[in-house]
Amino acid sequence: MNEVLALVLAGGRVDELLCLTERRAKSALPIFGIYRIIDFVLSNLMHSGIENVGILSQYRPHSLVRHIGTGEHWDFIGRKRGIRILPPYRGLKGSDWYKGTADAVFQNISYIEEFNTDHILIASADHIYRMNYKPFIQYHIEKRADATICFTKFKRKSTRFGYGIVDQKGRLKRYSEKPTSPPSDLVSMTLYIFKKEFLIDILKKNTSAPSHEFGRDIIPKIISDSRIFAFKFKDYWAYARTVDSYFNTNMDFLKGKIDLDAWQIRTNLFERCVHGDRMPTFINGKVSDSVISEGCIIQGKVKNSLLSPGVEVECGAEVVDSIIFHDTTIERNAKLNRVICDKDSHIGKNAVIGGSGEKIPSDEFGNLLSSGITILGRKSTIPDNIIIGANTVIYPSARIIDQEIKPGSTRR
Amino acid sequence: MNKNIIAMLLAGGVGSRLNILARQRAKPAIPFGAIYRIIDFTISNIANSNIDVVGVLTQYKPLSLMEHINSGRPWDLFGRTRHVEILPPKTGEEISDWYKGTSDAVYQNLGFIEDFSPELVLVVSGDHIYNMNYNELISYHIRKKAEATICLIQVPIKDAHHFGIAEISKHGKVQKWTEKPKDPKSNLASMGIYIFNKDLLTRVLNRVAQKGGVDFAKDVIPVIFNKNRVFGFNFSGYWRDVGTVDAYWNANMDILRKESGLRIKDWQIKTNHFVKGKIGDRPSAYFSRSSRVSNSLIARGCIIEGQVQNSILSPGVRIRKNTVVSDSVVFHDTTIDSNTIINKCIIDKSVAIGSSVIIGHGKSTSNKTFPNQLYSGITLIGKKASIDSNISIGKNCIINPGVHLIKSKCKSGTTY
Repeated sequence: MNEVLALVLAGGRVDELLCLTERRAKSALPIFGIYRIIDFVLSNLMHSGIENVGILSQYRPHSLVRHIGTGEHWDFIGRKRGIRILPPYRGLKGSDWYKGTADAVFQNISYIEEFNTDHILIASADHIYRMNYKPFIQYHIEKRADATICFTKFKRKSTRFGYGIVDQKGRLKRYSEKPTSPPSDLVSMTLYIFKKEFLIDILKKNTSAPSHEFGRDIIPKIISDSRIFAFKFKDYWAYARTVDSYFNTNMDFLKGKIDLDAWQIRTNLFERCVHGDRMPTFINGKVSDSVISEGCIIQGKVKNSLLSPGVEVECGAEVVDSIIFHDTTIERNAKLNRVICDKDSHIGKNAVIGGSGEKIPSDEFGNLLSSGITILGRKSTIPDNIIIGANTVIYPSARIIDQEIKPGSTRR
Repeated sequence: MNKNIIAMLLAGGVGSRLNILARQRAKPAIPFGAIYRIIDFTISNIANSNIDVVGVLTQYKPLSLMEHINSGRPWDLFGRTRHVEILPPKTGEEISDWYKGTSDAVYQNLGFIEDFSPELVLVVSGDHIYNMNYNELISYHIRKKAEATICLIQVPIKDAHHFGIAEISKHGKVQKWTEKPKDPKSNLASMGIYIFNKDLLTRVLNRVAQKGGVDFAKDVIPVIFNKNRVFGFNFSGYWRDVGTVDAYWNANMDILRKESGLRIKDWQIKTNHFVKGKIGDRPSAYFSRSSRVSNSLIARGCIIEGQVQNSILSPGVRIRKNTVVSDSVVFHDTTIDSNTIINKCIIDKSVAIGSSVIIGHGKSTSNKTFPNQLYSGITLIGKKASIDSNISIGKNCIINPGVHLIKSKCKSGTTY
């Protein structure tokens, strides 16, 4: 598919994920033990035979840059194949930070023009799904579309998405971004394919506009006088924009909704998450319904949880319905329930985290954290014997000296 | 490029006593500890000792070994001045032959050594499981102003006849050397690790080769130990020659025994994860609700629905419901169906075992074809064998690679 150049929108920072995205882009968030969210779109691109990919990143791109490396893990390395990180830059005209998804693409028109391709595929890095893009591209070409937008059915009412109304021939009739009441059940996957010339043209026209988002500013404007089609994707699709959706997507994996082996998802094996020097998982405890990565040492109980590499669960400790990132140690008799714990944390003996006061929402982030999940930031050090209630957020730099933290608290 | 020291790694071992495990691969390439290969221990020791040029002498079935070592990158032996070079037998103007022995292999590659003009040459074998910082050996060698130093380890006197045995003075000088003595006077056995001054090595290898000598222990050490300054260096850590099925199985189990002294993590053993189908591209291990795992090492890509006890599972192993695997070593991508019971087995790669199979139970009759190799109850199942449902297999059995077993009962000690 060398007629298609792909651009991956990976820059987004989302406050809704609280301290989990304080130091990393959302697309770099670890998931299912050893992966990062961006692995899904990159693997899809690879398996669809797309050979050139540009990654638009702005917010804290460091872990993303390191993760992508040379691109060899997705086979994006070779004479004709390549992957490029496209951060914001300053040029003669004093370029600036990306002002939105469309602006990020606009500022990289010279990169796009390096490639002799007819179409540009634009995909968000924040979604978890497996899709062969070839039928999508084929559909776009057959319809002689100026742009084709990928939609999926989404039953729950939400105001987070762009919604489309499509006619019988597949033409997009109406599009509304984040409406207060959804006009249909078709939500945009932030996956577009544009004719290159058409894309460049509309982006240039939008430069003087105050806002530069594909969903909000570009698509509604082009529907009436261009050939804009909709493509429907029918398989599993999930997003991780909020703590709840991130948590539920992880749990979906344990329910068997995501078959990583069949999906052939690739990740960076050199990075510390799967670094070559780790031993295989050692288990001498009780493990059920869980994913346990290499380098983990499990002597206690792990149930319905996902553990990234290097996690230690000592004797008597219990980890239930939780997601634990790399190299965290959970000491003897500590109990974790519905906890998302970031990397390099240390949970002291007999600590009890989560599982109490689930109904009490977060004091600061009530609309984001009310389902009983507790978040421990990177390098948290949780003292022995402490009791921490649900819906609590411990920020990375917080020093905890309490004996008890009430449900819904926030510590910085 | 000049180096003070380079390492020559002998990796040509046939390992015939390892039976079908070594049928399609050299002994150093046999999987060990779920994700490693035996040679990883020696290469990691070399890399961790900051020795950065390694010649790997291969001969017997070298393909999986070459693929494994590849560019040397996993051990950081990859760069402008760091590298691993595979040295297979070659034909040339003067020499055109297979390696006839350990010292012959090094002799045929004196040119490679000369390229780096090292002062010292470390000769090591890729067949052993141990952790050693060779720098201690090197400083001992230098301190003693030795021309050659042999690493020695105490072995039970009853086993001493398997080894090269040294008697040393209180200053450490080798006073007597006997290869595989019938009546050993000492229990200090050679570990097959030598350090030579390059000048002595070149001289003596040329001389020995002219007389038709090919082996370090048999031909080289005997002619130098009383003429030159040859010292013994005592090593006292964990060290195993995993040359027999029994020793191989035991060393694997040692990983699970805390007190054994085998500590892969502390030893910083590295392996190549990137060889196709190994652990690259596999998700983390998954444990279902019905799984029960105790004291076991489980690699990536495994799916565990049954019970696993005291076992070592390589990547991609699948254990179905109600199956019990105990005291076993299972290689990559083997699948074991439901209601099966497996005890004390070494199962090679890509084996398919049906449901309601029993393996490793019954009388402990030694294997009839190889009574000296299989006598302690271990059953071996070869690569890509498939075993139909409802079959029962006894102890000390061998199921050869690729065999499709449909017979319903295989008594202990039989071979298929």
